[in-house]
Amino acid sequence: MTQETTHFGFKEVATQDKQGMVRGVFDSVANKYDLMNDVLSFGAHRLWKHYTIATSNVKAGDKVLDIAGGTGDLARAFAMKVGDSGQVVLSDINAAMLNEGRKNLINKGVSGVEFVQLSGEQIPFADNSFDCVSIAFGLRNVTDKDQCIREMYRVLKPGGCLLILEFSKTDIALLEKFYEFYSFNIMPQLGKIIADDEDSYQYLAESIRKHPNQETLKQMVLDAGFGLCEYHNLSGGIVALHKGIKI
Amino acid sequence: MQAVILERALNYLLETHQIDVSLLDGKVVHFSLQDLPIEVGFVCTNTRIFVTTDTSTIADVNIKLKASVFLALLQGEDLTKLLREDKIIIHGDVKTAQLLVDLLQQVDIDFEEELSKYTGDIVAHQVGKLAKKFKSSDNPLTSIKDKITTLLIRPKVQ
Repeated sequence: MTQETTHFGFKEVATQDKQGMVRGVFDSVANKYDLMNDVLSFGAHRLWKHYTIATSNVKAGDKVLDIAGGTGDLARAFAMKVGDSGQVVLSDINAAMLNEGRKNLINKGVSGVEFVQLSGEQIPFADNSFDCVSIAFGLRNVTDKDQCIREMYRVLKPGGCLLILEFSKTDIALLEKFYEFYSFNIMPQLGKIIADDEDSYQYLAESIRKHPNQETLKQMVLDAGFGLCEYHNLSGGIVALHKGIKI
Repeated sequence: MQAVILERALNYLLETHQIDVSLLDGKVVHFSLQDLPIEVGFVCTNTRIFVTTDTSTIADVNIKLKASVFLALLQGEDLTKLLREDKIIIHGDVKTAQLLVDLLQQVDIDFEEELSKYTGDIVAHQVGKLAKKFKSSDNPLTSIKDKITTLLIRPKVQ
């Protein structure tokens, strides 16, 4: 019998092994994750996340689920928007990342956020529970992306908003060349120097290349049932924000 | 980016004026201004409005009008009268269009007052004056171009 395979960066691996391998990557980078994000993106990840929040249309009293929420950047901003009458759930499949998120939010004085360890492919919440579901820089690590988008659709209320912030494809030739060189030559080296982990950042560069481009991801969102999906290219398309509405 | 700004502004107005959009729940309205490069979709759902630039979505109603007619609508002009005068083109569900107009007419906002919070009184007043000139013109873009041309050819001598 042929074993089902999927990609892990540029490697072809058994489907059931990918989740564990991704977990290994994030276990390794968890305590340096924020620092590495700042260094590798020259701080731009803060602007991308700020734009995501501005686009979310979240208001006081809303219920928000942040999937693969890691160190809690989005959850913190959502918590301020929904206020005491709302609810924010910060979730991640990786316990080490979730612990970092909890520590970060406590250190920054944010209270009221709930923490749940979960897989985006099997979200343990009832149908039509949330006004907004977000996933930032997490979808490319999910083994079955279509299943994850279907699950996010299921837990969203009618009229709810899906936000997918993820690395994508730039069509600016010069930027693409620079980005290619930077991703495969500089990023892993910085990973080695700062986080003592070259392989994880080599995986990061590879996983970005394997991720669906803007139009493909938009179609995946529509195929999952969303009545509307549009995307906003950020930093020339290096990152894209897909916004889906459940109508 | 314009859609994001418009969406935030609209939802801010809904919240501050406590306007209920539930009558329009699930409705999609395409809206375009004939004399300005503005073409957006409004999706009213979950007690808020989403603004999209993706106008390929099937809409319940398509509304086309000039900027000055839009401002007239905001100030309480009757939709039926504007339709009769061919100042507004509506394709699709007129009832949805009427509901949207009713909703817009509930917004009573002093733009100068709101703007002055960010820019100060003088700038807000000047912008307000410009907006009034813009509103009184049938073709605002041409009017602005004409005014700039006049200024460049015959600058006022003090």
